[in-house]
This record gives sequence, structure tokens and C-alpha cells, in this order.
Amino acid sequence: MFKKTIPLIMVVTLGFLFVGFVFIPHKIAQDFYYVWFVDWIRAMSPFGLILGIMSITLAHTTRIRRKTPNWQYSILALVGLYFTAASGFIWGTQEGTPYMWIFKNIQVPMSATMFSLLAFYIASAAYKAFRARSAEATVLLITALIVMLGQVPIGISIFGEGIATLTQWILDVPNLASKRGIALGVGLGSVAVSLRILLGIERTYLGGGE
Amino acid sequence: MDKNNNIFQKIQQLDRRYIYIILAVAIILPLIFPYNSKTYTTKPAENIYRMIDSFAPVFPEGATEEEKDAIAMAHDKAVMLAFWHDASTMSELFPMELSIIRHCFERRIKFFTFTIFATSAPIIDMAINEVKKSDPEKYGNKKSGEDYVNFGYKVSSLLLPIIFGMGEDISDAMDIDAEGRKVSSLPIMTNIKNYNDMNLVIDFSASSAGTYWIYYARPRFGVNVAVGVTAVMAADTYPQLQTGQFIGMLAGMKGAAEYEKLVDVFASTQREFSSEILRNEAEPIISGDTNLPYPFRQARIGMNAQSIAHILIIVFILIGNVGFFVQKHLQKNDN
Amino acid sequence: MYEIFSNWVAAFFTLCVFSFLYKDNPFYKFAEYLFVGVTAGYAIPLTYNMAFIPYVYQPIVLQHRWELLVPAAMGFLYVFTLSRKWNWLSRYPIAFGMGSVGMSVPLAMHAGVLVQMRGAMIPIQDINTFLVFIGTITILLYFYFSKAHTGLYGKVVRVGIWFMMVGFGASFGYTVMARISLLIGRIQFLIADVLGIIK
Repeated sequence: MFKKTIPLIMVVTLGFLFVGFVFIPHKIAQDFYYVWFVDWIRAMSPFGLILGIMSITLAHTTRIRRKTPNWQYSILALVGLYFTAASGFIWGTQEGTPYMWIFKNIQVPMSATMFSLLAFYIASAAYKAFRARSAEATVLLITALIVMLGQVPIGISIFGEGIATLTQWILDVPNLASKRGIALGVGLGSVAVSLRILLGIERTYLGGGE
Repeated sequence: MDKNNNIFQKIQQLDRRYIYIILAVAIILPLIFPYNSKTYTTKPAENIYRMIDSFAPVFPEGATEEEKDAIAMAHDKAVMLAFWHDASTMSELFPMELSIIRHCFERRIKFFTFTIFATSAPIIDMAINEVKKSDPEKYGNKKSGEDYVNFGYKVSSLLLPIIFGMGEDISDAMDIDAEGRKVSSLPIMTNIKNYNDMNLVIDFSASSAGTYWIYYARPRFGVNVAVGVTAVMAADTYPQLQTGQFIGMLAGMKGAAEYEKLVDVFASTQREFSSEILRNEAEPIISGDTNLPYPFRQARIGMNAQSIAHILIIVFILIGNVGFFVQKHLQKNDN
Repeated sequence: MYEIFSNWVAAFFTLCVFSFLYKDNPFYKFAEYLFVGVTAGYAIPLTYNMAFIPYVYQPIVLQHRWELLVPAAMGFLYVFTLSRKWNWLSRYPIAFGMGSVGMSVPLAMHAGVLVQMRGAMIPIQDINTFLVFIGTITILLYFYFSKAHTGLYGKVVRVGIWFMMVGFGASFGYTVMARISLLIGRIQFLIADVLGIIK
């Protein structure tokens, strides 16, 4: 009862109240959302973070306790976590504080650089893996080459404005058809899943167990 | 196996680290030795520019600075810039944000910023400060709460309440700004109530996050939505561009370069948008007679490096495929 | 001086991450773990200031809106996700948030499906609108798995595959551009901000 039925009733009831909010302009339907729901969801909002912090702390303390390979680095992760948080509480979170310094000079460069590694991998893959093995793959590669040339100034300098026009045509016509076909499939799929949740048929989000 | 086969095999088995070095050099050189190149603007970028520009207050001829201040403050149009990305995609999205902020400052258009990612919150400050710092004489006096306001970080579970709430009352939905001030008490909110006044939202993200606005805000409140996306997401955005759900799009560093150009050519010289001028006027980004600070031409100089890197990648693809086909042909002959 | 020092610290971490291109090494690991910790730690004070204080502490403690203790307590139940025995308690906050599907059914149907269908049904005036129409229909038929892709039907859905390949090619071309841009950004930082080579 408390484990599954009540949460399920909550989803279905709230779900239909939300349907009402969308379709019924009456004050009661609107107040449900603007007056009641907003305050409640706001009061719930900070607590999801506790789960994230506990989860990271548990994962790393377990690694340290069990002395798994490279466990020493887990100490670093925990120091990073708690020192950054403490610096925000002690010195504040405004511009010019140690908290902001850590973020700008440690988090930002690392985050940006980690993703920039992908440029090297895509160059290596271009050399070693992108092969015109079939007619379909050839179409894909040729389209990609045209788009790559049409986006950069040098492509237009070499091949003239025609390459930019051709790129724009590819994006506006065959690409549009392709992405719309896929988007309609995804759109219908997501509506179907939402509808299954709303009607209480889909329950996997409640997790396993009783 | 014959000699030819060995060469092509060797080409295919080249150590990836050599490829990395070649790519790095191809990017570093054009950045150290920048050159002028022409940026071709596209309709989706021009549409964003023109809509933002249409929000600018009109000043009577001969108005004093004080009068202009009063008119700008009372103006009932504003733009929302939603920074929904972290530092990982800053290279593509940050120059767009700088250019749009610069556009708003130049044309005295009120703008708001907010994010649902904790790690984006300082990026908003960085963008605003970078623009102010780059030209202190022009933008140094822009004030938070008067010319713009940063609503800061809002927990992501509050996204829908915020999107819907702004349809009723922005001050109420946002509640407090990044500096902890009550939004309703800020002078910038004079005559700005909801989406009727803040009629353009530009969402910067590395995902399809812009669809939140067209699912939840546009059908109900009729707000105009535009996106600044990473190039990875750009091709997927065309269905929504065609239907007009997105009024415009900036795609990756190229989109940022386009907007940089538009702001340089029109907003910074207080001229109206004109395709004619765009087509015919020269666009110096590095010559001696331009004193443009680096952040305002960062994307266009970046596009020089992008040009060389694209040619390199195309050469890589061609070499790899020639090696593949020659080897395949030789193997077929051997059999 | 302060700015130069800060930039060099940022450059050090940038190079730590780049060192992974040679091979996995202690510098990279150092950066990787510190990154995870700092990123998570960063969110804590911000969430406390921007959500806990205005939406929990102020209304409950200062304004005595005691009814908000219910959602606050419900939010706290998230932590039981980590418990095997009390895991079911975390279903309450999840269920509360999940209620918004009621909103997404009509609104996603409108913006994600109906508006797109309307966009696909514009009058065929030229070759481009004809191609968009054919492409959309054949791709939708390709994703209809209840009928075997053989015979005439197979040939029709094959047209859909060609359209999709052009779409994937466009995405791929754009992806190359995106990845290169990210590297350009980092190199701009190193040579402009750190080394001061470009002004």
C-alpha cells in the first residue's frame, strides 16, 4: 500500500490535475499550480542534491576503505568536494572569493579541455575509420564533406558561394525531411510513454522491488 | 604482399599521436597568424539579430543622456538569455553570448539571464564582465538591476514552474536575482511583467533544451524562442526552424562568428540591418585600423583555424579512403 | 600578477588533461578526480543560497508556513534511494515530480507532433517541398516495423534510408565542426590568455 499504491495514486491524481491546468483556464485549475504546486516543488527542490553528495561520498569512501586500484585519487575527489563547498560557505559565492577562483581556474579549464580531447579523436577517426564502405556510407561522407566546406570561409574562397548555397539546401531540404521523420517518431514515442505513466500502466520509474 | 601494399598499410597504421600533432599545429598557426576572412551570415542568425534589434528603444532626436536613460528604463521590451551549458561547450556558446550581450548594451535593450545548471552560474557573470571589461568606456557604466539583471542559478526541478510562472509574472517566478535582491524591487522591471514584454527567449545549450520553451511557453503564451546551440545539435534544429517554432538559430562557432559580424557592422555603428551592406562592405578583423578587442572577434579568428582544420580533416578522410581502396584492390588482385 | 598566477594554474590543469593524449598518467588522474570533486562541491553552497534559504528556511522558519514541512520532508526522502530496505520511501518525491507528465502529454503532442505534422503538410509548390514531403513519409514508413521491408514497400523505405544518410551526413559534418571548435577554444586560452601571443 505505502510502498507502491500511494505513490502510483499520487502520479495519476497529480497527472490529471496537470491536464486540467493545461486545458481549464478556471481559477481553481490555475491556482492548483501557481499557488499550491509551485511552493511545494520549491520546498522540495534543494534536497535532490543531498543524494548526489551522499552518493559521491559513499562511492569514494568505499574505494578508499577497500583500497581498490588508484584509491589515493579518491581522497583528492573528496577533498575537492568538501573544500570547494566549505569555501563557498566560509567566504561566500560572489566574484573574487576563493570559491569562484577554484571554479574559474580549476573546474572551467578541466571541463573545457576534457571535451576538447574529442577533436583529436575525431581527427584520428577521420583518418582511420571513416570509410566509404557502401553506397549509403558514401552518401553520408560526401554530405559531410560538403557541409564541412560550406561552413568555413576557406571552403567558400575555394569553391565559391555555391558551396554555401548547396550546404544550405542540404540542411533545408533533405536534412529537414530526415530530421522531421525522426522527430515525429520520437515525439509520438515520448507522448506514448507519458500517456502510459499518466494512466499508471508504466511503473518502471518507481524502481524494482515490492 | 608487394611494396605498394606495404606503403598503404603503413599509411593506414600511422600512430594516432602524429595525427594529434598535425591537428594541433593546424589550429595553432592560424590563431597566432590570423588573417582576414569573410563571414557569410545565414538567415537563422540574421533573424535573431533583427528581432533583438526591433526591441531597442527609440530616442527622439536631440535627446540628452538623462532623457535617453529615462526612456530606456521605461521601455517595455526585454530579452531573456538562458545559459544552459557548462564550461565544456564554452568555446562555441560563449562568443555567441558575448555578442548578444554586446548587442543589447549597444542598443540599450534590457536583458535577463538565468540558468538551471550550477556550473553555468559563473559563466553568466564571466560573459557580462568580459563585455564590460573589453570596452570600459562604452559598457563600463552598465548597471545590474537597471540595464540588465542576472536571475542566477535556479534548481532544475523548478524549470517548469519558472517557464509557466513567467507567463504570469516574471518577478514572481524568478523571486530573487543572483545577488539575492527581490526581483520585483529592481528598476529594470518597470513595465516588464511577462512574456508579452519579454517576448524573446534565447536558449544557449549543448542539447535539445530549447524545446522546453516551444513545448511549454510558446503554445500557451506565444513567446518567441531562438536557440544558440553547439554545432552537434544544429542539424536537428531545422524542423523547428521551418515551422517557425524557433525564430532563429546560432550554430556553433560559425553562428557566433556571424553574430559578431552583425553586431560589428550594425549595432556598434548604430545602423539598421541591411543585406546590401553585409554583402558589399569589407570586414577587417585584424587590420591596423580596427581597435576591436579580442573577445569581440574571437569566433571569427577561431573560424580561420576552423577552416584549416576542416581542410585537414577532409585530407585525412581522403588519404584514409585512398589507402583503403588501393589495399582492397590489391588484395582482390592477390586472390 | 594575480591574473597571471590564476591563468597559469588554469593552464596547468589544461595541460594535465591534454597529457591523456599521450597515455593515461598520474597527472590526468589527478585532474580527473579533482574535477569530479570540485564540480559536485561547487553546487552545494549555490543550492543552499538559491534554493534552501529562500524556499525552505525563510518560509518555514521565518514566515511559519508549517505546511511546507511536508514537501521539505518529502524532498529529504530522496536520500533513501541509497538504502536497500527503505528504498521505497524515495518513490514519494519521484512520484510527486512525475505528476507533471499530465502537462507533457497535451503540450508535447501539440509542439512535438501536431505542429511538425502541419509543417509537413504544406502545399507542394516546387521540387524542394516535394522532396521534404517524400523524405518525411518514406522515413516514417521505414520506422513502421509491422510490415517486412520487402518488394515495392522495401524500395520505398530505401528512399527513406537515403534521406536519413544525408541527414546523418549533415549532422556528422556539423559534429566535426563542433569538436574542432572546442579545441580551438582551449588553444585560444593557452596562446591568448596565458602566453599573451595574440591580443
